[in-house]
Amino acid sequence: MNIIEIKYLTKYYGKSRGIIDVSFNVEEGEIFGFIGPNGAGKSTTIRALLSLIYPTSGSAAIFGKDCIKYGPEIKKEIGYLPSEVFYYDRMKVIDLLNYSASFYKKDCSKRIRELAEIMDLDVKKRIDDLSFGNKKKVGIVQGLLHEPKLIILDEPTSGLDPLMQQKFFDLLLEENKKGATILLSSHILSEVQRLCSRVAIIKEGRIIKLEKISTLKEDNYKKFKLEMKAPLDNDFFNIKGVVEFKSEGDFASFLYKGNINAVLKRITELEIANIWIEELDLEEIFLHYYEKEG
Amino acid sequence: MNLFLREMKSNRKSLILWCIGILFMVAAGMGKYAGFSGSGQSVNEIISTIPGSLKAVLSFGSFDLTTAVGFYGMLFSYLAIMTAIHATIIGATIISKEERDKTSEFLMAKPVSRYSVVSAKLSAAFLNVLTVNLVTFAVSYLMVGYYSKNEAFAGDILNLMLVMMAVQLIFMLAGSTAAAAGKRPRIAASVASGIMLAAYVLDKVIDLNKDLDFLKYLTPFKYFNAAKLLGDTGFEPVFVILSVIIVLILLYITFVSYRKRDLSI
Repeated sequence: MNIIEIKYLTKYYGKSRGIIDVSFNVEEGEIFGFIGPNGAGKSTTIRALLSLIYPTSGSAAIFGKDCIKYGPEIKKEIGYLPSEVFYYDRMKVIDLLNYSASFYKKDCSKRIRELAEIMDLDVKKRIDDLSFGNKKKVGIVQGLLHEPKLIILDEPTSGLDPLMQQKFFDLLLEENKKGATILLSSHILSEVQRLCSRVAIIKEGRIIKLEKISTLKEDNYKKFKLEMKAPLDNDFFNIKGVVEFKSEGDFASFLYKGNINAVLKRITELEIANIWIEELDLEEIFLHYYEKEG
Repeated sequence: MNLFLREMKSNRKSLILWCIGILFMVAAGMGKYAGFSGSGQSVNEIISTIPGSLKAVLSFGSFDLTTAVGFYGMLFSYLAIMTAIHATIIGATIISKEERDKTSEFLMAKPVSRYSVVSAKLSAAFLNVLTVNLVTFAVSYLMVGYYSKNEAFAGDILNLMLVMMAVQLIFMLAGSTAAAAGKRPRIAASVASGIMLAAYVLDKVIDLNKDLDFLKYLTPFKYFNAAKLLGDTGFEPVFVILSVIIVLILLYITFVSYRKRDLSI
């Protein structure tokens, strides 16, 4: 069963582009990634799903019901964490959480305590005294306290330290095991890779790829940067899978896709001073890979 | 209900301050009357020598300033603008603040409809406006009663408060309309206050220039003339009907535009 069904969703803000013909489905029990650079239309899509904004054309349904017509009803079972969290400044954390819970017709006090403990959140503090990361935690607890069937997260990890990120991901995986479907938007490929089974990649308002994460991982470029004791012959890395080779003095850099052992064998033939191997961030993938296809 | 209570709570402090402001305004204003009344009929004579234009600007109008309630009629013009400012601001901000403070993504992701949000917010705004009105009534009743010498005044003050309620309602909804229908909700309070001040100035301009009398339909401050109310004319049906129509139209625009538009996030 599809929890989210988006059909040809298009949104223009006046003349400027929001999203164009976005279509994808999210299945029940899935953790679905939604990735793209800033301004590609991730938040626009999510806001249209929540009927915060209305699409120019196309439609979206959640739990099989139209997003706009059945908005309030659908939202009973949705937990949403916006990309930027802003709350009523003069409230204490616990007041905000109780206020949030008061919109759902069930007792959430136990879950609030559990979540606050997991996320290490002091609920007695005033919200305006909190750091950005702690505000994000309030957002996380606020989004999960009513045990929603669908969790929508818009760039959830920004501002969280790595330890908290880990706790948060564990929490999401646990919710997922209990049956929650998750839509996670991000511009960081690695966090999407860690959690999601499928991803939609959006660029300049259009979906350019809908893929299983396992497939995406296989044909991904890695970024190599070497520092050597002596300058390098330009043809040294002329092997299959290497692109964008650059050499400058003792430094050399290139992108590689393929069997990692092949390139490592080549590198061991050199006397190197230092080496960096990095995943491409999403922007670079767009530049080097998707640009050709998209 | 939770949203309504939340709004009542967040406006509590400002409501108390406004009520204190009204209290001082009425008390200080009527305090001046003590000096006036001591000098007897001569005050009216002095006032009658003041040029009409200055009288209009100072809201002296044609009140009988020797009676407490007549003097209060003059003061009322200032109370009306004060309470209208309060109503405009609360009407505009109660709708626009979620977008201004960027909390609309929090609120509107909850299982609430736009319609129910506007209902709860307007109810809270109305209760605030009503409280200001009742406090004004209570303070005015006590102060005018204190200075009155056996003249009847309760009916007059009640009538003036009904007028004030109408003006408050119109401007509260002008504020909410600006916030709900305007392209930039963040500046709604300023826009609505501008409209309100323009209406007030127009009221004075019409007082100054009788040729412009036909413009009186444009400013709610002209719908109910305090001086006429204190005389025998009472409410003019055309303006009562006009007020009701304006209120209904503004209510409609507020609800419909807020439901149909994108939230500015």
